[in-house]
Amino acid sequence: MGYGAFILMEAVILFVYKLDRSQQFMHAMLERNGLDFGTYYSSLSITFTIMLLSMFLLGSIYFALVAGDIVAKENEDGNLRMVFARPISRLRLLLVKYAAVSFYTFTFVFFVGISGYAMAVAAVGWEGGLFVMEPKMKVFAAYSDWWEGAGRLAMSAGGIGVSMITLSSIAFMFSCFKIKPAAATIITLTILFVDMILQGFPFFKPYESWFITWRMSAWVFIMEQQISWPKIIESYAFLFGLNITLFTLGWISFQSRDFKT
Amino acid sequence: MLVASELSKKFSGKPALSGVSFHVKRGEIYGLLGHNGAGKSTSLGVILGMVMPDSGDVTIDGISVLRDRSRALRKVGAIFESPAFYDYLSGWDNLKILMSYSGGFDATAARSVVERVGLSRRIHSKVRTYSHGMRQRLALAQALLPEPEVLLLDEPTDGLDPEGIKWFREFILKLRDERGMTVLFNSHLLAEVELMCDRVAILREGKRVFEGSIGSIQDDTRFFEVDFEPWGIACGLVHSAGGEARAVGRISLPATVDPAGLVETLVHAGVRIRGFSPMRRSLEDLYMEILNGAGSPN
Repeated sequence: MGYGAFILMEAVILFVYKLDRSQQFMHAMLERNGLDFGTYYSSLSITFTIMLLSMFLLGSIYFALVAGDIVAKENEDGNLRMVFARPISRLRLLLVKYAAVSFYTFTFVFFVGISGYAMAVAAVGWEGGLFVMEPKMKVFAAYSDWWEGAGRLAMSAGGIGVSMITLSSIAFMFSCFKIKPAAATIITLTILFVDMILQGFPFFKPYESWFITWRMSAWVFIMEQQISWPKIIESYAFLFGLNITLFTLGWISFQSRDFKT
Repeated sequence: MLVASELSKKFSGKPALSGVSFHVKRGEIYGLLGHNGAGKSTSLGVILGMVMPDSGDVTIDGISVLRDRSRALRKVGAIFESPAFYDYLSGWDNLKILMSYSGGFDATAARSVVERVGLSRRIHSKVRTYSHGMRQRLALAQALLPEPEVLLLDEPTDGLDPEGIKWFREFILKLRDERGMTVLFNSHLLAEVELMCDRVAILREGKRVFEGSIGSIQDDTRFFEVDFEPWGIACGLVHSAGGEARAVGRISLPATVDPAGLVETLVHAGVRIRGFSPMRRSLEDLYMEILNGAGSPN
């Protein structure tokens, strides 16, 4: 059902893209920047927009839901005690679940990318370059060669996947607490949206690198003409450290809990 | 085989277990009885490492559950009251998932166990289509994979029909007889415990108040169902003879008192005897005596 919802959303984004007003807007913007509409109004550009919007609008909810349920829901339903009857340590149990959540998150992004691209190709054909404009992260790039554009898009999908693992890690941590599954999801989404909103305040501009969502957006730098790898590595090192911390906090809570029948 | 030593546990300041100890010998079926909230499920939770005791420890074949849970539980299978499975998956897929957590799925072993528990025809159906009895059989199948030496059963026959209860009992007894399986059995069904268990322990308010073999319930005291009139005079004569009136219509006599002699005394005293038949003291009798405070802790 989740996959179906994403396909539907991609179709809606594609539909909006195909509207005359949207095309006129794109036309004007590209020409203002000296770019050819025929080259850059392409399946690659549409796929980029689909991935950006669907991950922001729907992906965060889905990943928070899945990761928030992975321990808390199983405990609520009684499945966890069946698992506990197996000769497996609590740490190993959590590692297995965390690996599953991370794998799901990462591969789901590629599903969105591939399905989005397939739909865009059906709508506008496979030829053309890639046009990227992300004002918040100050990234503006255009790749006329399809292969280069596709390569950048594939790499950025990987970057989005790694970034979204942090969102899943937050939900996973809360799922390990003595908490209702829905509460884990809601708290995670609250943290995400508050972080995003605060980051937009001019007052917090000097501190933007301390915001989780700013760090999670580092994948956009892969789109720059000259990729700044130190900037990207710095952000992902930050997120990696955060993920380890979140997992550890979840494990400490899980390790000390009693699971009574 | 399984030793619980001085287990104590409080939940929100309320004691659930207070210094509970018991020892389950290899190859025996050991029953754990008690009222609701006596500490039976908490004991099982501690044995499985799901509940951390405030003090005490459990060892299974010499391995501490607290210090090395995964190694200690390698020889253990467990069934819970109302076992929960992934209802949207088949029984087979559920077994695969549960076994995969602890080192891989052996399809041959799984098929063999599924056949033994009588689920072969429905193992590939979704669990949500299973009856309660089928769920219990699936729970038994997962408990027997891989080959355990100890089975922990928490109210396993709860909700089963009489045929199901009989099947379950015979299956467990067969496991004990043919494979020397050690079983720890929590249940409210005293009749089932009496039929299955070699030894029992009774918990009351978190403390062990009795431990002994089923045979020892029939101690040197003999019980009789009687119909004497007038009851008051008869009671006095029974007491004089060294016996005890347990309830109206029920007396007990120590082994040293000859029932025939008592009958003669009663007849000479003018007591009409309408009925006098020996009774077998049951586990229920012992259990109720202990819960009502007549039994002594040991």
